[in-house]
Amino acid sequence: MRQALTLNHISAAYGKADVLSDVSLTMEPGRITCLLGANGAGKSTLIKVLLGLLKPRAGEIFFEGENIAGLQPHEIIGRGIACIPEGRRIFPKMTVEENLYMGAYQEPSTERIRKKMAEVYALFPRLQERRAQLAGTMSGGEQAMVSIGRGLMPSPRLLIIDEPSLGLSPVLVSDNFRIIRRIGEAGTSVFLVEQNVRQTLAISSYGYVLSQGRIVARGNARDLRDDEAVREAYFG
Amino acid sequence: MDISLLLQFFINGCMLGMMYALVAVGFTLFFGVLDVIVFSHGDSVMVGAFAGLSFYLLCMYLSPGMPVWLVTLFVSFAGMAFVAGFGMLVSRFVIMPLRSAPALNTLLATMMLGTVMREAVRLFFPDGSNPKPFPRLLPDWSWKFGGALLRFDNIALFIAGGLLIVGVALLINHTRLGMAIRAVAQDAEAAQIMGVDFPFIVLLTFAIGSAVAAFAGLMNGLYYNEINFNLGLLLGVIGFSSAVIGGLGNIYGAILGGFVFAFLQVFGTVAMPFSSAYKDVFAFGVVIVLMAIFPTGILSERQSQRV
Ligand SMILES: Nc1ncnc2c1ncn2[C@@H]1O[C@H](COP(=O)(O)OP(=O)(O)O)[C@@H](O)[C@H]1O
Ligand SMILES: [Mg+2]
Repeated sequence: MRQALTLNHISAAYGKADVLSDVSLTMEPGRITCLLGANGAGKSTLIKVLLGLLKPRAGEIFFEGENIAGLQPHEIIGRGIACIPEGRRIFPKMTVEENLYMGAYQEPSTERIRKKMAEVYALFPRLQERRAQLAGTMSGGEQAMVSIGRGLMPSPRLLIIDEPSLGLSPVLVSDNFRIIRRIGEAGTSVFLVEQNVRQTLAISSYGYVLSQGRIVARGNARDLRDDEAVREAYFG
Repeated sequence: MDISLLLQFFINGCMLGMMYALVAVGFTLFFGVLDVIVFSHGDSVMVGAFAGLSFYLLCMYLSPGMPVWLVTLFVSFAGMAFVAGFGMLVSRFVIMPLRSAPALNTLLATMMLGTVMREAVRLFFPDGSNPKPFPRLLPDWSWKFGGALLRFDNIALFIAGGLLIVGVALLINHTRLGMAIRAVAQDAEAAQIMGVDFPFIVLLTFAIGSAVAAFAGLMNGLYYNEINFNLGLLLGVIGFSSAVIGGLGNIYGAILGGFVFAFLQVFGTVAMPFSSAYKDVFAFGVVIVLMAIFPTGILSERQSQRV
């Protein structure tokens, strides 16, 4: 079976500071694959490498069988990858609707954009009520909705989500995980990056654990969940 | 004071205000998108004027019988296209390579670039160190109102400049590419994550800002009927000040700032008890006071205000 995404021996650094060393992982299509790791482990850096925002020192990246390492970020996005970045990163001086349009920036068909926007509004009725409001003036929870909706706009085949529960109340976190589970069930491959071990493993099928830039554990989500050693060693 | 003289000053203020606004828009766009102050921007105005003059001479040489309105259009569009292309080269080979360096380096590099541009025109343009007459490309119709003279070319230039600014504002606020420019200004990395081709948007922004500056240069030539190699120096400082008092990064602020500065100069000429030579001293003095009152610009709510 062809993998959705494969990373082979990726190393990356900011200047002289090595952040990722020899990271290899694969993601099966239509599944939620998670990457767990403490603060500063290098999770967001791995996403930057994936998206072409940071050139890896070494390694290969295959998306649906094609090497995408070395492509420009907009070319990688054009292949069918989308990302809900850490900290939401909504465009504060744009309206909710403009933010959603930005999500579908490369989609040429206005018809498809309109359809997708209706889907997002159905998922988050609150966004429809607030669609003319500047996103920067919304609450944290609402901004999270904008960010997730924006990530869904291009109908990606691979959706990368970086710490969606960061800074949200427990209720909103649960809502988020429910929505991510649904995205996965709808057939989209999801790469979920998190520190929230329990809820993440509950909705993932496979997981990796990153510590100080190295993959230190991997396995089926259920096995990882029951692995006391992993839990204690990396998440306290 | 006589009302017709006031009218004359008003017309003068409008013309200067439009010119300054056109220059300020570029400063504010570049700052919004890339967080850089492009000090050579004033000299792009000068290059626009000289490119216009060169294209005019080329026209006269190649087809002396060309109708004047066609010459005017050709000179305007060719001059703007030339400077737009130049601006794209500057962004590609000066601004972008310095992106990871401290902002001060970009500032210094563009200051030096401005000097190179001025000296290049002075040395390589035939007799470039002397003022050059700029051709009258617009009909010299005019209307007298008492002592005030309302000239057709002034009105035409004002309207053309206004349309250009409105066009830029529409492009930025109501088109897909404009949305990408705003996205890059607000969060460049997030824009890239949405699939925006960042280097292309930077090129586009520099093309727009530079073309608008070129128009300011043409307007300057047509208004004063004379251009010289260092006209961009003061225009650059004024355009930059206008962008700052309006709120760097905010287009409407840049326009407002341009007119505020122009009317300060005019007021300085009219109301000061001494010679009009002090009008710049007065205007810059008030600008310093304005900056103390509005540290982030009149139309800026916050430090982070962008495009
Ligand atoms: N832009 C940057 N420049 C230099 N170092 C960085 C940069 N971004 C992150 N780092 C460093 O890289 C390491 C990994 O960071 P990051 O990938 O953000 O971790 P995580 O997302 O797992 O919390 C950290 O030590 C962090 O300080
Ligand atoms: Mg992170």
